[in-house]
Amino acid sequence: MPRLVIDDLEIEVPKGTKVIDAAERLGIMIPRFCYHEALGAVGACRMCAVKFIEGPLKGVQMSCMIDAQDGMVVSTTDQEAVDFRKRVIEWLMINHPHDCPVCDEGGQCLLQDETVSSGHGRRRYPGRKRTYRNQYLGPFIAHEMNRCIHCYRCSRYYQEFSGYRDLGPLQIGNRVYFGRFKEGRLESPFSGNLVDICPTGVYTDIPARFKVRRWDLQRAPSVCINCPLGCNTIGNSHYRAVMRVEARMNPYVNGYFLCDEGRFGFSYTNGGADHAQRPWNSRISGADVTVEAALAESASKIAEISAIYGPGAVVALGSTRNSLETQSMLSRLCRRKGWQGPVWFNDPAIYRKVRSGVERLDSGIAVSMREIEFADFVIVAGADLLNEAPMAAMAIRQASRKNATIIVVDPRPISLPFEFRHIPAAPAQIERCLGSLVKGSISKDELKGFDSSAKGFCKALPAKFEEKESGISISELSGQLMSAKRPVIVCGTGIVCESTPAFAADCAQLLRESGKKAGLFYILPGASSFSSALLSGPETKTFSEILPQIEEGLIKALIATESDPFWDFPDRERLDRALSMLDLLVVIDYLPTETVKRATVFHPSSTVFEMNSTFVNQEGRVQHAERVHVGGVPIWGAHPPRIIRNFVPGGDHQPAWELLWKISAETSMLESVLTLGELIAAEIPVFEAVGHSKYPITEGRIIPENSEGSFVKPKASPAKGQTAKGFNLLLTDTIFASREPSAYADTLASVFPEATLFMHSGDANGAGLSEGDMVSVELELGAIQLKLSVSQRMARGFLFLPRQRGIHWQKMKEFSAWIAPERIRKI
Amino acid sequence: MLSEELKQELRKMIADAESSREKAVDVMLDIQEHHLWMSDEAMEEAAELLGMSPLELDELATFYDFIYRSPVGKYVIHVCDSAMCWLEGHQRVMDHISTSFNVPIGGTSPDGLFTLLPVCCIGYCDRAPAMVINRRVYGKLTPEKIDRILGRLARDNEFHPPE
Repeated sequence: MPRLVIDDLEIEVPKGTKVIDAAERLGIMIPRFCYHEALGAVGACRMCAVKFIEGPLKGVQMSCMIDAQDGMVVSTTDQEAVDFRKRVIEWLMINHPHDCPVCDEGGQCLLQDETVSSGHGRRRYPGRKRTYRNQYLGPFIAHEMNRCIHCYRCSRYYQEFSGYRDLGPLQIGNRVYFGRFKEGRLESPFSGNLVDICPTGVYTDIPARFKVRRWDLQRAPSVCINCPLGCNTIGNSHYRAVMRVEARMNPYVNGYFLCDEGRFGFSYTNGGADHAQRPWNSRISGADVTVEAALAESASKIAEISAIYGPGAVVALGSTRNSLETQSMLSRLCRRKGWQGPVWFNDPAIYRKVRSGVERLDSGIAVSMREIEFADFVIVAGADLLNEAPMAAMAIRQASRKNATIIVVDPRPISLPFEFRHIPAAPAQIERCLGSLVKGSISKDELKGFDSSAKGFCKALPAKFEEKESGISISELSGQLMSAKRPVIVCGTGIVCESTPAFAADCAQLLRESGKKAGLFYILPGASSFSSALLSGPETKTFSEILPQIEEGLIKALIATESDPFWDFPDRERLDRALSMLDLLVVIDYLPTETVKRATVFHPSSTVFEMNSTFVNQEGRVQHAERVHVGGVPIWGAHPPRIIRNFVPGGDHQPAWELLWKISAETSMLESVLTLGELIAAEIPVFEAVGHSKYPITEGRIIPENSEGSFVKPKASPAKGQTAKGFNLLLTDTIFASREPSAYADTLASVFPEATLFMHSGDANGAGLSEGDMVSVELELGAIQLKLSVSQRMARGFLFLPRQRGIHWQKMKEFSAWIAPERIRKI
Repeated sequence: MLSEELKQELRKMIADAESSREKAVDVMLDIQEHHLWMSDEAMEEAAELLGMSPLELDELATFYDFIYRSPVGKYVIHVCDSAMCWLEGHQRVMDHISTSFNVPIGGTSPDGLFTLLPVCCIGYCDRAPAMVINRRVYGKLTPEKIDRILGRLARDNEFHPPE
């Protein structure tokens, strides 16, 4: 490893490290504009000049372009290098407007910092500055091209890194313009990163625009809870409102970036633009009451019902957006009080898939997003990444840029920002396809070396998979997989069969047995699905299984903790009827859900920005979100109140675990009984290894030992082909509009995808329908109207309906439906 | 907006190339032969033929001086503004054409005949100042010579067809 000296400090760095990065490790930030670790070096801006005094090359050189080598002696403070950089900045500033006082980037601007630090304080250039016309780029990103210094970071990020093709450099020389062909919303769902990556104020965050200065913000490291990936963020708040969310670098999870849903989907915590959409106050039967009155009411009613009907008449609902603390508290209370639950999921099939996935995840086989970037063969089985876990698509994009082969086995018309082979297999065929692909990659010699269970599994895999429509040869792909060294299987848990997550784990295990460094990456349904699976057992019920007990009058009280059955349970009528039969519906939440509206007693809980909380992502990584601000009704939009009060309006919310403790009729303070660290460790055995006293847990992965063994013999796949005439209607997620809590953010409402039903073009032809038709689909409880989108790249005999806000899919009676052809018609 | 006949011709040209992108500039030049300039609609149709996004094609179109993204006159006068021509009187040439033939710099004459644009070095340094009109190069320009060349074009529509 090369050793070099930078500014009299010695450092040893891995081979291939650039001098600019070596300096950064020493805490020396060499000025830069075009260089960014995620984008690599191009040596365009000339800002990172340093002087090489001793070693293989001498003189002023660009530190981003030169690999650290033995014997180098580098000075960043040499007068020649300092003068060089000073002139570069003066030249870059020639056309830059002097609008820092009205620019949103002011105070967080790399150009500003480096201009000041280089000592270029007085402008000498008296001429006219170059000006441009700006473009409308959508509701998130403001464009101000006059500020541009032509570093090309935006187009390199947008086109090379993220793989979208509608923003780039136009014109030539001094007139270079970064923009779109025509004005319009940026196509990339990762466009918000332009704000972070631009070294000056060309791209600024519209929701936060003209509102606050960087130095007035309260900032804290946070975690995104909109999808299972748990990308790291920084929450920024001012005047009791979260103003913006930025990406926080985590090399194992999201790198430097975020998706737009994570970045812009936060306004639910402020109650929307008018601050009125969040339930701020405690309520009994719809009337505002004090926190204490509501807590006393819940506690006494729960105690009363437990006394009369037994504690089993009380059910606690949790969800996959609960923090680990809340989930642990739910688990503890259910156990100690004898309540039923906790119930985490609505759909039993989803629950079983999540659980089987988490059970099969092994610390040896689980990969992070970072490791996916270095995979050389990626198989995505039953996951629509851009819609279900967008940043995972970005990770695979990086693998694709390194020439990895990407295969997507999914019945939906998947689109991804990179080249991939799409096999539109029906859900029941995914295992067949995956199995034959893996089997074909195992050589006879490798098979001989396997133990009997691996051998048995491999032999039972289907040898052949016919894929006529896509025209893709599985055996050819198997050949490529055979020579791969670091294959990764990404497995969804949404539309796949119940056995598929475990089957994918077996396939990854088999690839590992054959000498590959194979990895497995699950896409789970919510931010804390992983921990809810850890807190579940074979006895754990789903809401669907609890519902009949409510209908029979066996359950009298429901405690819904950040849980809204109306969000993802079908058959709205049945749900309404059942909930009205309860004696008591205690709801703890921060979103204005349908369940909140029906609450007997409502307690406002804190959002992720308002409390310290822990979340475990889908690969078992424990991450801590710090409290960004105390929270309450934001002062934005009106003059701060002129009356002096001794309370914060809307400041009644408390972490859900604390509310649960209080309504469980525990009279003592939680702190005097046990700490949060002890609470978590007592409920989830794997946390014992972390230690009871360690809280908050800020890093590490919690993956239980794989006790299941492995290699479950694959079942014979069902025969292909449809017997009855009709379509299998499945629900699917869509970006921005499908997930709690982001779908409640009014900032995202304008970008909700249009309500669209997806259908194979052959099926559509047969039904006399075509692309763009408005159709009416008759579901069990009524018809819904939406646009039809047809595609050849999807499985025949299926319809996909997005489970998104604004589509009344709850007119279905079950989580999927069989639709006879006559029930879809053009309107 | 492109005729089916032209599209067919372009499709063939693209199909013959090793990768379709390498024909991007040729496709745009061909379209200009018929339409004089690249309108937004022409860009979108050409991009589709080439399998590029309109932006990607526009990155090229706006990079090159001889691809026009605004309407131009029948004759596009490119006056070289590189160092040699500039020393030898680039500005005089521009001013002369502009005043004598009523062409605004960077614009088109009201009769739609001439468009006046600067161009980077065309390699005629030994005969500076120089200009290009519809692919034909003229050097050692004087006001008289300019009047003669442009006068002939204006009067007779007489012009050497592009090679």
